[in-house]
Amino acid sequence: MKSVKKWFALPLAALLIFLSACSDGNNGNSAGTVNNKEEAEGEPADTLSPITITMFSSQPNTQWEDMESPVGKKIKELTGVTLKPDYPVGDPMQKLSLMAASGEYPDLIFANNNVNTIINAGGLIDLTPLIEEHGPNIKKLYGDYLNRLRWSKDDPSIYFLGTYGVNEEQWEPRDGFMLQHEVVKELGYPEMKTVKDFENAIRAYMEKHPTIDGQPTLGLSLLADDWRIAQSVTNPAVFSTGGSDDGEWYIDDETKDPVIHYTRPEEKEYFKWLNHMFNTGLIDPDSFVQKYDQYKAKIASGRVLGLIDSEWQFREPEQALLQAGKPERTYGMYPIVLNENFKNRNFQSPGYSGGTGVGISTSAKDPVRIIKFLDWLCSEEAQILNNWGIEGEHYTVENGKRVISPEEMQKRITDPQYGKKTGIETYLYPFPEYGVGVKDSTGQTYKIDSKEQIIGKYTDIEKEVLKNYGATMWMDLYPKVDEFPVKPWGAAWQINIPQESEGAITMQKLNEVVRKRIPEMIMAKPEAFDGLWDSFQAELNAIGVPELEEQFQELLNERIEMFSE
Amino acid sequence: MKTETSLQPLSQVSRTKRSLWRTMIEQRYLFLMSLPFVALVFVFNYLPLWGWTMAFQSFKPGLDFSEQDWVGMKNFIAIFQEPQFYLVLRNTLAMSFMALIAGYTVPVLFAILLNEIRFAFFKRSIQTISYLPHFVSWVVAAGIITKILSVDGVVNELLMWLNITDKPIQFMAKGEWFWVIVTLSDLWKEMGWNSIIFLAAIAGIDPELYEAATVDGASRFRRIWHITLPGIRSTMMVMLILSIGWLTSIGFEKQYLLGNSLVLDYSEVLDLYVLNYGIGMGRFSFGTALGIVNSMVAITLLLLSNWIFKRITKESVI
Repeated sequence: MKSVKKWFALPLAALLIFLSACSDGNNGNSAGTVNNKEEAEGEPADTLSPITITMFSSQPNTQWEDMESPVGKKIKELTGVTLKPDYPVGDPMQKLSLMAASGEYPDLIFANNNVNTIINAGGLIDLTPLIEEHGPNIKKLYGDYLNRLRWSKDDPSIYFLGTYGVNEEQWEPRDGFMLQHEVVKELGYPEMKTVKDFENAIRAYMEKHPTIDGQPTLGLSLLADDWRIAQSVTNPAVFSTGGSDDGEWYIDDETKDPVIHYTRPEEKEYFKWLNHMFNTGLIDPDSFVQKYDQYKAKIASGRVLGLIDSEWQFREPEQALLQAGKPERTYGMYPIVLNENFKNRNFQSPGYSGGTGVGISTSAKDPVRIIKFLDWLCSEEAQILNNWGIEGEHYTVENGKRVISPEEMQKRITDPQYGKKTGIETYLYPFPEYGVGVKDSTGQTYKIDSKEQIIGKYTDIEKEVLKNYGATMWMDLYPKVDEFPVKPWGAAWQINIPQESEGAITMQKLNEVVRKRIPEMIMAKPEAFDGLWDSFQAELNAIGVPELEEQFQELLNERIEMFSE
Repeated sequence: MKTETSLQPLSQVSRTKRSLWRTMIEQRYLFLMSLPFVALVFVFNYLPLWGWTMAFQSFKPGLDFSEQDWVGMKNFIAIFQEPQFYLVLRNTLAMSFMALIAGYTVPVLFAILLNEIRFAFFKRSIQTISYLPHFVSWVVAAGIITKILSVDGVVNELLMWLNITDKPIQFMAKGEWFWVIVTLSDLWKEMGWNSIIFLAAIAGIDPELYEAATVDGASRFRRIWHITLPGIRSTMMVMLILSIGWLTSIGFEKQYLLGNSLVLDYSEVLDLYVLNYGIGMGRFSFGTALGIVNSMVAITLLLLSNWIFKRITKESVI
């Protein structure tokens, strides 16, 4: 008898659980309807009801603070939103592909340049009607560029809000050839125009100082860790031979013919120079095997004289150097080119092209609420909060102007954890933001950057170096923005190659071939270089680069047409 | 219960069927108890095989099964026409065979040698120290190894101090050395751990055998040769077959973490290839097809090695 009772108890328990789960569901539903009613009646009440928005971001945010910082708390208080981001470990594409396969997405997705995976799987909703209805601030932020957010000629939906500052003025070079201030100072500020000047400066200093702080001096350290090879080794080949940043492409201003940039004979000379640098011992022999962390640690030790890289790659170790009280070991950026015939195009403007950004997924339960949150992020209030911080805490208002105290500014410059502690700038990228130089309703810039502020951030030795080169800012050394036409295609690296096409596979193979062959070529004996270059070119042909270029030509033409509408 | 069934006369064929049912009914609790595990294996090991259908489609996420485009063997043809596939297969097999040989013989030797040590405290400390690296994650281990082998690392300094070389050697930049570095790192990490099972097997050998052999005047090597080795023979066989079954699934952590762009021709393995060219590019069908090929290679190797063993030792493990 007893056992019979036991057998009954089990399904009964299961039934109970089931029932209670159901009633939970009902509760949820009724709460939902209440919400909707409130929404219809008046907006303010609705914005405050707490909601958790999940998000996947392809690019890890090292300053993420779980909304625990002052600014994070403020955002929670003002919007009721708790943001729960998820960051990839390793290649974000794998996670995105799995999402696409399962059809289950977080509310917000920042897929970066892999966004076509999600769009092809139908994972993002068209934001156009939502922006129309709930996005006054979004419209204001993008202005006429809103049209550039459209996906393609055939599918004019807006799937995401473009990232990067809109209408940005560029005041600081993004990429270049870097030399420690100490090096140029000691050598009496030699002319810095071509790779030869750069090489001579490194050699001269290295011969004088074979060790720094007891450790061997490293001339030029490059980084080839996975995709970062592009920043430090392959992109500079374009930049130093008169190209602007179009990823793997070089597009001629006149003919608008895209070519994979490695096929250009000019670049052979650049890589040959790197080969020469390596063989004369000026390049750190660990360059092509080191990982990003090792690279950063090396720079932070202050014994690397020169770098060729993007500014954001070595920002962290540079801050460490400042904290360690070695401002003379931080770097100046020089527009070095292969020879006098080329001009550095770092300041050529692509216009605003969005290309990538945050979108709302089809799994999102309340897209209206989410677009309102995104719209709030575009508002003047939010943009000032995210750029300047909290009034009275991170800045003060004097005579109607926002002012950051020198002590606070000092922290902001030198503390690598500043964003994590305060939440400032943590909620900007990859969300929409105004570009540097854009002014708010009171005539002040949204960004804290102003030319004066940038100069104010310079260390004393930096100012001294600039003065000796007859400049007040690093941008003065570079060719000016108005020397070049605005690129009618935006940035070519943002043009998506359809995933199922042969071109996408070629692109992947190209990545691999480049990562193998370029370091091999640089490390080879000088007499072997020409042979390796020829076999590299043959390999590019074999994997289908000519066909890829043809395919890309069409995509490019389409893009130019869409942008000029 | 069991005795009851076996007592039934075997000649009554007509009743065998009934007796099978009776056995099942009598053992119903045992069947019930094993049911969850059968279900588990079915759900996680057999049900996913349904996904293999993807290999014959041009799979697009978000579409129903009926809406998918069937392409036949296209994906498999693409794999076998791809020169890189053979390179990757070569790397996978080479590194796994090297790992098999080193990772199998060394732990056996190590276990035997350790067993010969009389001083118990010393023996136990050695054993503990030797299996500690097993618990170090590959991420950390790879960091240590890269640092040790870098241009200003310990190994180079030692070699230069001994005047073996006058210029630091770029260990990590030499493709041909990559397999060796991976194998040695793996050996360092897993040797102690893998020897535990052999030590246990040795401990199970009857000490009287050794005593008898000593009385008969057998030397140490004779004792190892005639008692220890035959004593752990069956354990060795099982371990060997098991490791052969794992041959193509060596994972990719080691290769991924220790590798760099210079040694890519030697470091890319099947799993990494599936990631980069399959899932990583959203080519699910291609990735699945690669997975199937991978499984086929593994099964072939397993059957082959088992067949060889059967011929040599007249016993089979599977």
